[in-house]
Amino acid sequence: MVKAFSSGLSSVLSGGADTIVARATAAGASALAVIRVSGPETCRLAGLLSPDINMASPWRAGVVRLHDESGVFLEEAIIIPYRAPRSYTGEDMLELMVHGSRWIVDAVVGTIISAGARQAAPGEFTRRAVANGKMDLVQAEAVNEVIQAETEWQARMAREQLHGVLSQEFRALKDALVALLAEVEGSLDFEEQGVVVDQGAHEAARKGCVARIDTLLVTVGAGVRVREGARVVIVGKPNAGKSTLFNTLLARERAIVAPTPGTTRDVLEAELEIEGLPVILVDTAGLREAEDPTEAEGVRRARREEERADLIVALWDVEDYNTLCFHEFKNTGRRLDIVSKADLAEQQIEGVLAISCLTGQGVDQLLEEIHLRVAAPVAAMEGSVAVNLRQAEALLRARKCLETLISVPQEVAALEIRSAMLALHEILGSLDDNEVLDAVFSSFCVGK
Amino acid sequence: MVKTWDVVVVGAGHAGIESAMAAARMGATVCVVTLHKETIGQMPCNPAAGGIGKGHLVAELDALGGIQGWAVDRAGIQFRRLNSSRGPAVWGPRAQCDKERYSIMMRRLLARTQGITVIEGEANRILFERGRATGVGLAGGTRVCGRSVILTTGTFLGGVLHTGDDRREGGRFGERPSVGLGENLREMGLELRRFKTGTPPRLDRNSLDYTKLEIQEGDHSPQPFSWRTQAVVNRAVCWVGRTPERVREIIEENLDRSPLFGGRIDGVGPRYCPSIEDKVVRFPHHKEHTVFLEPETLHGPSMYVNGLSTSLPADVQEKVVRAVPGFEKASFIRFGYAVEYDVVAPKQVAHDLQVSSVPGLYLAGQIMGTSGYEEAAALGFVAGVNAVASLWETEGLRLGREQAYIGVLVDDLVNREHREPYRMFTSRAEHRLLMGVDSARERLMSEGVRLGLVPMGVFHVEQARWEKRRRVIEELEAGAVVPDHLTQDRLHKSLGFELRTPTTWAGILRRQDVDQEHAAAMAPGLGEMSAEDTAIIIGQLRYSGYIARHARERSRVERLRHIQIPADFSYRSIIGLSREVLEEMERLRPNTLAEAERLGGMTPAAMSLIAGRLSTMGRD
Ligand SMILES: Cc1cc2nc3c(=O)[nH]c(=O)nc-3n(C[C@H](O)[C@H](O)[C@H](O)COP(=O)(O)OP(=O)(O)OC[C@H]3O[C@@H](n4cnc5c(N)ncnc54)[C@H](O)[C@@H]3O)c2cc1C
Ligand SMILES: Nc1nc2c(ncn2[C@@H]2O[C@H](COP(=O)(O)OP(=O)(O)OP(=O)(O)O)[C@@H](O)[C@H]2O)c(=O)[nH]1
Ligand SMILES: [Mg+2]
Repeated sequence: MVKAFSSGLSSVLSGGADTIVARATAAGASALAVIRVSGPETCRLAGLLSPDINMASPWRAGVVRLHDESGVFLEEAIIIPYRAPRSYTGEDMLELMVHGSRWIVDAVVGTIISAGARQAAPGEFTRRAVANGKMDLVQAEAVNEVIQAETEWQARMAREQLHGVLSQEFRALKDALVALLAEVEGSLDFEEQGVVVDQGAHEAARKGCVARIDTLLVTVGAGVRVREGARVVIVGKPNAGKSTLFNTLLARERAIVAPTPGTTRDVLEAELEIEGLPVILVDTAGLREAEDPTEAEGVRRARREEERADLIVALWDVEDYNTLCFHEFKNTGRRLDIVSKADLAEQQIEGVLAISCLTGQGVDQLLEEIHLRVAAPVAAMEGSVAVNLRQAEALLRARKCLETLISVPQEVAALEIRSAMLALHEILGSLDDNEVLDAVFSSFCVGK
Repeated sequence: MVKTWDVVVVGAGHAGIESAMAAARMGATVCVVTLHKETIGQMPCNPAAGGIGKGHLVAELDALGGIQGWAVDRAGIQFRRLNSSRGPAVWGPRAQCDKERYSIMMRRLLARTQGITVIEGEANRILFERGRATGVGLAGGTRVCGRSVILTTGTFLGGVLHTGDDRREGGRFGERPSVGLGENLREMGLELRRFKTGTPPRLDRNSLDYTKLEIQEGDHSPQPFSWRTQAVVNRAVCWVGRTPERVREIIEENLDRSPLFGGRIDGVGPRYCPSIEDKVVRFPHHKEHTVFLEPETLHGPSMYVNGLSTSLPADVQEKVVRAVPGFEKASFIRFGYAVEYDVVAPKQVAHDLQVSSVPGLYLAGQIMGTSGYEEAAALGFVAGVNAVASLWETEGLRLGREQAYIGVLVDDLVNREHREPYRMFTSRAEHRLLMGVDSARERLMSEGVRLGLVPMGVFHVEQARWEKRRRVIEELEAGAVVPDHLTQDRLHKSLGFELRTPTTWAGILRRQDVDQEHAAAMAPGLGEMSAEDTAIIIGQLRYSGYIARHARERSRVERLRHIQIPADFSYRSIIGLSREVLEEMERLRPNTLAEAERLGGMTPAAMSLIAGRLSTMGRD
């Protein structure tokens, strides 16, 4: 039987948590390296490293000389002290900027460890920030995304998420669920006091929650686009000039180009960034009834790519333009028909975008068209942030609960709303057992 | 030679009585030390027991072999089931009691129960023997020696009573507080907290105008709480009135004279028992507030004014009360007052209600931060059973959150932080659908039998009853109802709906739009069941889909719980785990998720984070 419990907050206040240290910048030689220290012992450790570190005047950079425990000079460093709770982790912290030599970094970290700190585990600073309420789980997830961001949009999205834009949406939804539940719970536990559920308002609030979830779920596709890139697939008959376009857009000779139809057999992929958004460009085999089994397989794969695509760029050889009717060219959100080899055209091409990889005609316009379509769902997010798959899964679960609750008795409905709320708590990594009762007592005048 | 008891119980309120009775009936010798013999089993606040959530506690306690339900049945003068139009999971049986009769019965019960000795006196320190709490020292120097101690001192630790500016030390009206004991607990290193609660004025029954009040009668067929009771009858009525807007004005004018708003009270009061001054301040847009007038005894003059709890000065109380229609000429038997008192922060107590740092010392009732007779009684019972079980090295009583409200009560107290006095609500139970008052005996009576507190014969009778319900349910699920003309006609006539596809009687009874009574009259098997059992059966049918889903979720959790946690598992790699949980996990390193779940401070969110990390571990 386990009988002892850590007393939570009081253990923190009494200095129960240990102090951690780690190099914050990437390993390997570099001009500068940043070392972070966090925890209740920070002040004492700072004093040991150098008498010049003044923890009493925090948030101010200073230059100090660091020594090891036996007084040997280690390094001249720039330091910034932070005092709880105004720091990244919410604890006392010290940041030291030293030369990025492996020896220096190891020596400084080693000195701090032998003075009583512990090497931090990966992500531990962020974990402490979550534990101390400096950020929630959704924001913590963004920390890594900010670090990993390679395109402008990725960075923008991760930053917004870190700033809590997405968290706010989740929290607003969670609060709406709490209010919904409080009403039901109030009527279940305080019937004698005349608390009743206003059916009309309740249904409106329920619908409001579902609508909020749907708005958030729409951003999932956009999020995947921003995080992983949109798939833009080039299709067309053999020899239409697909591989040539592929190479032109990439600005390098990635695919083999030849005058023989059926040159490309396999699916080729390459990454490309269009105005800050990542795009995965795909070249495919020319579409026709192929007899050669290898080519036939290539055509099958091309068809599959067409299905997966976020955007299909269908290429028509200028020769076909003459035989096709105007209305056979499609220009929708997911499909863009264009005519290639415009330099060979004998007449003016109208009603459809025409490009030439030889002269460069129309290529910029094509890029613009692609961007317009790929960025549309991202733009639809209106500056908010996309939901990731973990969050989407929980949102879907919450939505399902809200759907069932129309047709059930109130004590069951409460269960459903509670499940929905739990899903939201999973997203935010929080759980406050008292919030429903808090809401009941603040909205109803109950009690004898 | 000094006499030594197995268990020393301090206090003879609702907690102390159950502790003593459970321990003695399990065969232990018990010494009850209490301030006054004549206040044994007193109801210092409202003259009622049960309600929504609280009624669940009484029913469960009764199924386990506790005695509160038995006493309420006998002292009860009006019985009502709250939430009766809803499903059985949230029924809340409640009874108005004759306080004097209740208290007299409890006094007699303790006196005639073998193994119990009652001593009058004030315990002011805990006695130790080889590091274990074994007895108490009384003011005056007497030592009461035993082998373990249960403290159930209610609102008496450092108690201070307030009525307006009048501030005097006391445990409750007319009784002195207990000062030394609190100091002693503090010296032992226990963390104490200050709470507050209040009670309304009592009015003379003969000074009120009932033509301006609404009558509130008991149920048509009142149901007893206890398996020991055959039947109960209603003997009294209650009355409902409303405070006019004028009351707000009176209170606002005098707010500076309220000890609550004037800053003379530091203790934290329960939001679910707000004083009238609280209500007026917090809900200024409410024009009127309901008050319930409840007789304190069957024949005596005292009427309890439920809804007017207050600690305003006496002259303001008079103005407020006399502003209420019907109370214009009210004469006061006693003024309302608030009491501030110390409680032991309950996190220092383990699930068996033993203080973690003091072996042999148990707490129960209001001393550990609860409020209410039912909460106190339930905890008293658990402490009494566990104190004896630990002495005899037998299995004690540990109920799960999915098993009983009593399990929820203990678990909440022991594991969570509490900012105000704790009272039971059904919303605290995440397994509410499984834990209706109707299923209390089915859930818990076997435990009562195991402890030797419920006779086997009683258990068999009960068992037959729920077996029979189960058979009827099977029958209702099995037999098909085919929509031929005759059936359609019958259903349409009596139930008002058309049946198009074949179904079962269970299917028909589950429909929300079906009138229960009419349907029950037509369905096979239900005819021979009592109205009570029929309602329970229909409730079970309606919940069954959800209970099944719940069970599925639980079995998924159950499977998860058997997942092994590697010895070198890095809890630090989980972002979002609270520091509290993390430290606990690293210190104790549970082997399975099931073990992790039982540790202090564990929350569902933390469980899902750990489970999530474990399930992705195989992949990276
Ligand atoms: C003014 C007031 C208002 C209340 N309002 C509410 C309310 O609004 N809602 C609600 O649910 N509940 C309310 N209650 C609480 C309810 O009465 C208690 O929760 C319940 O009675 C607690 O039971 P208990 O057994 O823990 O303690 P109690 O019933 O208080 O019994 C304590 C016992 O301990 C004895 N004792 C105390 N100190 C010593 C000592 N040192 N040595 C020996 N014996 C000692 C006393 O004599 C007494 O027998 C109120 C109580 C009071 C006094
Ligand atoms: N004049 C002119 N010729 C082009 C242009 N684009 C492609 N070609 C030529 O068209 C021929 C086919 O080009 P590819 O890019 O290999 O065509 P493809 O669609 O990939 O053909 P498959 O892979 O066989 O399906 C090559 O000889 C190219 O040089 C263009 O814009 N203008
Ligand atoms: Mg090609």
